[in-house]
Amino acid sequence: MPERVKGPALGARLVAALRRAAAAAAERPETSRETTRGALAKRSRRDFLLFGASVVATAVAGWWLLPERAKRAWLPGAAERLDTLAARVGLTRMQREAKLNRVLTFDDDVAEALFSKQRQVRTYARPDPRPLRNNYHGRTPGPEYLPTWRLNLSGLASGRPESLTIDELLTRFARHDMNTRLVCVEGWSHVVAWGGLRFAELLEAYPPAPGARWAALRSTVSLNGAGAPEPYYVSIDLETARHPQALLATHHAGAPLTLAHGAPLRLVAPMKLGLKNIKALTDIAYTADEPADYWNERGYSRYDGL
Amino acid sequence: MRVEPETDPRAAQRQAAAAARAAARARREAERAARAARAAEPVAVVDKHDGLVRAAHWAHVPLLLGLIVSGLAIYWAAPVFRHAGTPGNPRGDYLVDVGRELASWFGAPGETRYWLYERLSIGPMQLANALRLHWLFAYLYMACGALYAAGLVRGGGWRALLPRASDPAEAVAMFRYYLGVIPHALAKKPWPHPPVAGKYNALQRGAYLAMPLVGALVVLSGWAMHHPATLGWLERLFVNYDGARIVHFTCMVILGGFMIPHVVLAIADGWDTLRGMVTGWSVRVRRAPHA
Repeated sequence: MPERVKGPALGARLVAALRRAAAAAAERPETSRETTRGALAKRSRRDFLLFGASVVATAVAGWWLLPERAKRAWLPGAAERLDTLAARVGLTRMQREAKLNRVLTFDDDVAEALFSKQRQVRTYARPDPRPLRNNYHGRTPGPEYLPTWRLNLSGLASGRPESLTIDELLTRFARHDMNTRLVCVEGWSHVVAWGGLRFAELLEAYPPAPGARWAALRSTVSLNGAGAPEPYYVSIDLETARHPQALLATHHAGAPLTLAHGAPLRLVAPMKLGLKNIKALTDIAYTADEPADYWNERGYSRYDGL
Repeated sequence: MRVEPETDPRAAQRQAAAAARAAARARREAERAARAARAAEPVAVVDKHDGLVRAAHWAHVPLLLGLIVSGLAIYWAAPVFRHAGTPGNPRGDYLVDVGRELASWFGAPGETRYWLYERLSIGPMQLANALRLHWLFAYLYMACGALYAAGLVRGGGWRALLPRASDPAEAVAMFRYYLGVIPHALAKKPWPHPPVAGKYNALQRGAYLAMPLVGALVVLSGWAMHHPATLGWLERLFVNYDGARIVHFTCMVILGGFMIPHVVLAIADGWDTLRGMVTGWSVRVRRAPHA
């Protein structure tokens, strides 16, 4: 029987490997190279010219990107003239808006590519004990609309609109509860105990017309800051609407929704920013093209994916 | 009797001018020759920084500035560091206190409360624009970080950043040195620099390694806030959503705070160091064998 040749012990080999790695990562001695003053001066001139050109280009781009009111605050006298100069090289205000909105859609595309429709959003054992903030963008509507409230559906496969009362919705559909985090675009967040029916189940019971890819969600009862009627509307793609965690919520913290939180029915889509989670939902229209979105029209993303 | 030859004064002027021209030409030629000789003089230089590292280094200045300003505008919409509400600051935002304090230093006439906010456009109701700008700068910042890392690998600069066993003792020696520089200079007493074995001293090495690490952390915490649902694992890494916000904010303070001693020390180190970050080379050739 041949004798097994014994190699060095594992520990010794590990030490040797570590030594080799340390030697490879050790700082190398500095090696000087001989050149001429002329060659150095030429290279320095080129590098400093490039550096100066970059500083100028950065300053121009910075001015172009600066919000209007900051420009006026920095240089109240020269802002107009500098803007005219910038416009001559094509850096207009419209160009800036178009480019910055392109950044927004690029970021949306990244978000959409990262998101998987199958992925469940994190749920929590307990909701936050603090009261949930009411961030109605305008004034909170009074209770007058509640007795006549109905959910109106249009763009259905049946070809005719439907109108459902809250009792119909509560008796026909099972209630699901979940504790998920509501994240506001402003940066605050809150783990909320929600209860309601799955949007997916409503979609099954009242299927949209073939070719529909979007849901236009609307609240006709919402008010502006002065208390005048101002409809609020958001767009949701149907894949998001069919996500098992997309609820048409009827309950919050175990009780029916209050007026402050969108009684009697609101959208809760925890994979979207809070501003998509429309309160006091009154209309759902299924469409083939992307519908308008209230905050997108005011400079925010239209995807709002978390 | 000698007769002075009669000379035309204009001819004499012409001769003098020609002589002056010839002298000037000779002088220029001598200068040119001297310049050529000087240009041909050999110099020994050390290549310090890879071109990608230099470009990424300078690009960080406007990018960090843009990120901090747009980031503060986003922060302003919903502060995470808060005290109990006070009149005029109902949300108890510490940053509002800081902003007012700063504005009062500048002593702007009239309404001073928003002096700084107006100039940096980080005042209220600027969230939509701030978000767009923040994403723009954030994507550029990530690209810039990738460029920096590529430059460290290409130029082999990463080796000078790795911590080593001698670092704690050397860091103490350097700290002691920095504390003594000004008192000894004032007393006109010698205060020798501790020996440094390598490109950086231990304090520099710690700071220069920390920057890319904090940069990575600020990017990760940013993504955790941006997509807490999609990147739930990343959000959990920072405990929760507010945890990511606190880390993100702290990283911003570290990155911004680093700049102050960095600029002071780089200027104190002299022109060779500043030029080296633009051109890449230095004439400070270490003669001693590498320790």
